[in-house]
Amino acid sequence: MTAQEVRLCGLLMREHFGEVVEKVGTHLLRSGGQHLRAIVHETGVSADLVKKSLCVLMHHGACSFISGRKGPGSPPEYQASCDCILRILRYPRYIYTSKTLYGDTGELIVEELLQRGHMTMSGTVKTVADRLSQNMEDGQSVDYSEVSSVFSKLVETHFLQRCPPLDGAGMTASSTQAGPNPTAAASSSTLPNPESFSECYKVPHVTLVGRGKRQLATEEGEEQRSAKRAKMEPETHGDEGIYWQVNFTRFHQHFRDQVIISAVASKLDQTSSEIVRTILRMSEVTTSPTDSCTKPLSANEIFRSLPSSHNIPRQILDQYLTLLVDDPMEFVGKIGESGGGMFVLSILYFIAAAFLTSLPRSAPSISQPGTSHARVHRAGEVSLFGSRSARIFRLLLRKRHLEQKQVEDFAMIPAKEAKDMLYTLLSQNLVQLQEIPKTPDFAPSRTFYLYTANQLPTARMLLQKCYKTVSNLVERRLFETKENKRLLEKSQRIEAILASLQASGAEAEQLTEVEEMISAPEKQQLEVLKLHVNKLDSAENQVDETIFLLESYINSTC
Amino acid sequence: MAGRGRGHRMMSFSVDAVGIRESLPPTIHQPTPVFPVMEQKPLPLTGGEEAEYLLALKQDCRGAMRSLPCFIQPAVAQRDVERYSDKYHISEQTDRLKDWVVVVSDWKRFPRELRVHVRKAPGDGALLSCRDSGQQIQKKKKKVREEILLKLETLEKKEEQESSEGEGEMEKKQDEGAEAEEDYDEEEFEEETDYIMSYFENGEDFGGDSDDNMDEAIY
Repeated sequence: MTAQEVRLCGLLMREHFGEVVEKVGTHLLRSGGQHLRAIVHETGVSADLVKKSLCVLMHHGACSFISGRKGPGSPPEYQASCDCILRILRYPRYIYTSKTLYGDTGELIVEELLQRGHMTMSGTVKTVADRLSQNMEDGQSVDYSEVSSVFSKLVETHFLQRCPPLDGAGMTASSTQAGPNPTAAASSSTLPNPESFSECYKVPHVTLVGRGKRQLATEEGEEQRSAKRAKMEPETHGDEGIYWQVNFTRFHQHFRDQVIISAVASKLDQTSSEIVRTILRMSEVTTSPTDSCTKPLSANEIFRSLPSSHNIPRQILDQYLTLLVDDPMEFVGKIGESGGGMFVLSILYFIAAAFLTSLPRSAPSISQPGTSHARVHRAGEVSLFGSRSARIFRLLLRKRHLEQKQVEDFAMIPAKEAKDMLYTLLSQNLVQLQEIPKTPDFAPSRTFYLYTANQLPTARMLLQKCYKTVSNLVERRLFETKENKRLLEKSQRIEAILASLQASGAEAEQLTEVEEMISAPEKQQLEVLKLHVNKLDSAENQVDETIFLLESYINSTC
Repeated sequence: MAGRGRGHRMMSFSVDAVGIRESLPPTIHQPTPVFPVMEQKPLPLTGGEEAEYLLALKQDCRGAMRSLPCFIQPAVAQRDVERYSDKYHISEQTDRLKDWVVVVSDWKRFPRELRVHVRKAPGDGALLSCRDSGQQIQKKKKKVREEILLKLETLEKKEEQESSEGEGEMEKKQDEGAEAEEDYDEEEFEEETDYIMSYFENGEDFGGDSDDNMDEAIY
């Protein structure tokens, strides 16, 4: 966990979980595994609040506990990890994806699960049905079965998964087992991979009958509620103890597939991208996220699974497949002749290619003077140094080692400027210098100096810079909102008054009178503030896209 | 080496003689500026419907998470002087605590030491108390509920929603007094007072609120 990651995690926790959780969380991230008492002592936060913060973090998967290392009686140690918290940046993208795939219902299901961490299926279905019913007209409501069916579909395509059972949760129970097999206690308390649980994607049989409820303000609603309270039985639906969470790796796989499809579409044409999309869809659930290639698929299978809307006849499909195979980029490979030819898609290649093409692309940064992240961009080449530096960089990536003279020749840039650009790139650590001596004393006149660019270290460095960018953006946004806090509160109060007046049916004069309480320059200030905040927010979203690309590249190459 | 005088940087050749003065970068006399001028202007953000929708989602998400019980606010700071109204304000905090037990839905997945014990000391209302579920709790809950129902019927109340349906399985209210008290959101019935909660506001918020819809005149 680097300093930049910890800083960004702290800011995200502050925004979404409050300052107490931020304090506890950053302390845990910095110091590794710790006992509860140690955390209480070192952060100075009261024990109750520390316990609650730990619960919140564990609920969202950011923190895990292991039973004490010093034997069965020792207290559990808590460890936090950055990954889950950094993913908070990507929540809007997950929700949007589920909306495109499964509509509003899917969107709300994923949103609820993301916000609450873990939930049972029945709880999710009820909350989502209520929310959907609220937005519909009077008298209509959504049936639970509709929501359940969308939930099951999400589970079938592996977007949701069950939380793995924790054997080590009952600490006192494990201590009794420690006698006969001490190793078992230690091994059972580590968090198993959710996928290793055999029923990870099995939807439980849930008895849920009913419809979504709207917020009723009438007397009728009150009587219902008081009657219901009289029973006050906890409603069981047959799925107690089974908690669901969002499967982030599956979403990442989906994003990656989209990158691949768009890359193929831009390089070849729409039809070939459809073929590639079919191949990817068929291997969605069979390929594990860390594979570098998909499983081999025969041309017959591909032909059968092609969507009928495109009407691609068999020969055209074969021609496209040979085209893809013969392409110098080599992203589809032919590995056998059975069933008309077996093809694999090289995912690793795509990630590397996507990374390479994103490097020289210009960065989204705010063209607003005075923002604190002016020097840090998504892939700084073009914005910082110009497109010719980007050309030099790409050249070095392709040709590996080049002397300065050769760089000038190949890049077709005049010597003086090329020298300048190379030196700036060198000072930013984007290229490195390799010395090859002719004589053992490394005399400057008798040594070759070669410039080279390494992908993986550059990727890591850029990733850290991206984290720094996002932290700066978040801080700037917090600063702006804090500066104008008084104004924001005033406008919120006025809106509340307006809403209540309108609900109680006031005349237009009263409304205008209330609206005039905010003066025109204040309104303008509010507009400017809103514009800034929106810009900062969308910049965060865009930087997050780059973060995703860089992370998947780094994870796939090492 | 030979060229090193005290504090003087002497090179074996002079810069003028070799003629490389122009190609060296200029000497820097102060730290680089915090916001250096950028030679290239950064490109604008990509817009589009998708980006705007993502933006709206992000802001909604943030706002929604603030209202969830996951968002932990520390307790209100101690006031300088103890006030009579503090006794009636403490109950606001208990709502958050009550939400808390709903957040963590399954204590079996969490280590035992993390269970939050909430205590209510007799009389000063410092904290509320609850314990792990047990037989005793179920019985007491039922008794409490019956008393509540009686109270409900006699009072003929409720225009607002009852949030005590969410009271859940874990909480039990231990009462020092004779009557069982319910945790209603309604202002009137927080404690056995005849006054609504705004009676106990000590006027420190005065002037900050909007003065528009006051029913009573202000002198």
